[in-house]
Order: sequence, then C-alpha cells, then structure tokens
Amino acid sequence: MRTSFVFSEVVTGLRRNVTMTIAMILTTAISLFLLGVGLLVVNMVGKMQDDYLGKLEVAVMLTNDISVNDKDCTQQPCSSLRSQLETTSGVETVVYENRDKGYERFKKVFESQPELAKLARPEAIPAMFRVKLEDAQRSDVIVQAFTGKAGVKKVDDQREDLDRLFGFLNGVRDAALALALLQAFAALMLISNTIQVSAFTRRTEVGIMRLVGATRWYTQLPFLIEAVVAGVIGAVASIGLLVVTKLFLLNRVLGELFAANIIPEVSMVEILFLSPILVGVAIAISALTGYVTLRLYVRL
Amino acid sequence: MIRLEHVSKVYKSSARPALDNVSVEMDKGEFVFLIGPSGSGKSTFLRLLLREEVPSKGRVYVSNFDVAKMSRRRVPRLRQSIGCVFQDFRLLTNKTVAENVAFALEVIGKPRNTIVKVVPEVLQLVGLDGKADRMPHELSGGEQQRVAIARAFVNRPLVLLADEPTGNLDPDTSQDIMLLLERINRTGTTVLMATHDHSIVDSMRRRVVELDHGRIIRDDARGVYGVGR
Repeated sequence: MRTSFVFSEVVTGLRRNVTMTIAMILTTAISLFLLGVGLLVVNMVGKMQDDYLGKLEVAVMLTNDISVNDKDCTQQPCSSLRSQLETTSGVETVVYENRDKGYERFKKVFESQPELAKLARPEAIPAMFRVKLEDAQRSDVIVQAFTGKAGVKKVDDQREDLDRLFGFLNGVRDAALALALLQAFAALMLISNTIQVSAFTRRTEVGIMRLVGATRWYTQLPFLIEAVVAGVIGAVASIGLLVVTKLFLLNRVLGELFAANIIPEVSMVEILFLSPILVGVAIAISALTGYVTLRLYVRL
Repeated sequence: MIRLEHVSKVYKSSARPALDNVSVEMDKGEFVFLIGPSGSGKSTFLRLLLREEVPSKGRVYVSNFDVAKMSRRRVPRLRQSIGCVFQDFRLLTNKTVAENVAFALEVIGKPRNTIVKVVPEVLQLVGLDGKADRMPHELSGGEQQRVAIARAFVNRPLVLLADEPTGNLDPDTSQDIMLLLERINRTGTTVLMATHDHSIVDSMRRRVVELDHGRIIRDDARGVYGVGR
C-alpha cells in the first residue's frame, strides 16, 4: 500500500467538499462533547457517592420534651430509644447530641455566614441521635422503624437530600447522553452522505482504478480515511470544547463548590482520561459508517 | 488466451439476450477485430472479459482465469492482466500525461522506483516522449488516445481490449493509432478491438469476428468489414 498516494487522495477529497467536511466535523464534535459531558457526570456522581455515603447519617430528632429535660439521655423514653437503635442490625454507631451540643455544631457549620448563625436560637434545635450505618443505602430501615415512635419528632435521612441531588445529576447525564445519541445519528448521516458525494465526484478516478485492477482496499481506503480523519478532528474539537467549558463555565459557576469540596471538581486529568475514549468512539463510528456506506451505496 | 464457451447474457431489462450462445477462442498474440452494428453485443462481450458482467450461461476464460466463476477478491488480478482503451480516452483531466500513466501503477501498489523507470519507457513507446508534463487538454485527440494506450499497456497486460479506440479520431490519426496497436501486438500482447471503422478493418487484414443480435455470424482469419453484404 502506497501511503503517500492514499494520503494525497484523502487531502484532495476533504478539500473538495469543504462545506460537507466542516458540517461533518461540527456535528461529530458536538455529539462527542455531549457524550463527554454525560461521562463526566457519571464519573462525578460515582465520586460523590463514594465521598458522601461514608459520611451519611440518619438523624433521629427527638421531641421538645426530651430536648428540654434530658441532657444525657438517661430518662425514658430516650434511653430505651438509644438501646433500640444500638441493637438494630446494620447500625454502626449511635451518638446522642443534646440541644447545646447541637447548637454548637450548628454555629460551627455556619461559621462563614454569621448572620445565619445569629438567627438561630438554641430552642429551635432538637436533641437527636446521630446514627451511622454500616451501609448508608439501607437507611430506610431506621426511618421506617423509628418514625412516629414515642419521643421521636422526626427521622431525617440525609440520603434523601443526596438522592435529590443525584437525581438531578443523573437527569443531566441522561439528557446529555440522549442529545449525544441524537447528534451522533446526525453525524452518521452526514458521514454517509459525504462519502457518497465524495465517491460521486471521484467516479472517474474510481472507474479507472477498478479498470486497472486496483484492489477494493485501494479504491475504498481513501474514502474511509477521509471519514476517519474528519471524525478525529471532530473528537479533538470536542475535547477542546470540554476544556473550554471547564475553564470558562464550570470554574466560574461552580468554583466555590469545588473549592469547598462539596462537589468533586471536574479536573483536567479527567478530561485527559476521557479524550482517548472520545477519539476511539469517533474512529469506530466514522470507520463503521464509512464501511457500511461504501458497501451499500457505492459501487466501487 | 481468450475463450468463451456457449456464453449467453440476458439483461433483466430486456427480453432479447445481448449474447446468445457465443463460443469463440482467441490465441495468445492474436489481433482480432470485433465488429457488428450497435447493440450487436460487442460491449457486453468486452464487459464479460473484464468481469464487469457475469454471463447468464456458459463459461469465460481469460489466460488462466475462469472469469465467470472466480471470487470477487481475485477480480483485481484479472483486470491487472487486461489493458483497456476507450473511444472517450478516460484520462484524468487534473493530472499530467506522466501522472495519468503512473496512476495506473500507483493504485495497484507498484513501488515508486519501478514507476519512475517504466513510465518514461512506455511514453517513448507510444511516441509521447517530451510530452510527459503536458495536461490532457493541451493534447490532440490522437495524442490523448496514445496516453490512454500507454496507461493500458504500462503494466504489460496479456490482453489489450480496445473499444472503438478510433471512434473520435480522423482517418490519418486513426491510422497512427492502429500502427501503435500493431506494435503492441508484436510484443506478444493479444489485442481485441471492437470497431465500426470499415477502412481500418479492411486495410489491416486481420481476423474478424462479427456479431449480430448477440450471435457470431462470421469469423474470418483474414477478413474485411463488408464481405458478403
């Protein structure tokens, strides 16, 4: 195989259909960008789950009566609630936090927002058991068993709040992946169309190639490589888009949350790890589409 | 070199066969005219040899190739041993004379150093030395056909198929092209030429195979065009 020959054919082919080539590259780039966003969100949710599930607690908040009268949880019904919690299977630790300690913690959490800390009065904060589970996913056992018991005001499962956040992120992921799929479909059609146009404009060459006994590979490879080259350029553009999005959108909008470690940061390293996947997907899709198109529509 | 055994070809769009039980044999080194009116089956005959078409019935042999039966993968091999020339030259207008000839070798993967050696040789053979860097539109019709012949011959095919090669040329130029085809024939290449040109057939006195309505109606070893009509 004479590579210089194939290469020059590819370059002329791409130049001849500049508009189609650009359309092909752009759709591919957008499709892969959305795929990248989807994958990054998947990654992010995974990391957050790891981060948070270890720290998640179920707060069993107690009635005002207990909050006022029982500072050490020595009286009924507090002490029996504690022993019930401790003997529930799957519970790792149970910590009793009375109203004063709760207030201290509240002030600490909102240290950076003194106006908010000032607003709260100790009386508004109930005494509670902070229950840590071996498996945070199974918190509903506690919620079901203790909601409505004597002395229990409310069982607050942090996992539910987190689930809401995850639900949102998973929605973003699904939307991104769905759009990516739609765009990929458009890219597919464009690739197929470009190859057909390309083959038509070069029908004389291809005719002569067939006539003098060029193998199928020789006649088809330039078209295939054309599609793959456009695909790879699209993939590189999509990686660029991801980097730009990180630098100019994510870092500005979510920068504080990243810094406070509330949301795991989308790092450049992650985008770097993603890029071979995007390039690989681009190559696979364009090569496959090209091959099928040549087989079905173009007589070479 | 070329052998057809009871070959029939029926196209889907037509009830009448394009070729009807044709059997004929042409030896290595022969010069054969294939004549007959339009629609008599000359083009189908040539297309069968190139495996552009497969016969509906019968067998086709070119050299050692069982053309009708061979796998698609082997078709390039067959075509590499057949050179083709057409009435409309079929040159690449954006390539020079030398590049047009070289193209035929490039696309079958011949190495660069072979190409730079054989292209000037074949251009000299067809009488185009000194015009290697011209573009096709700068050449006369006769010269363009010489380029096409050079391209067909550069890979030293066993068989040269010429489909009305003089159809677009004036008589004098046609005569020159025929001399060139004769010279190629003398190198041992079998030449099969489909034509309408009475004067050429008559002056050459070579074997004439005449087709009419897809049948061979005449096969003269030293024929003329219009005999018996």
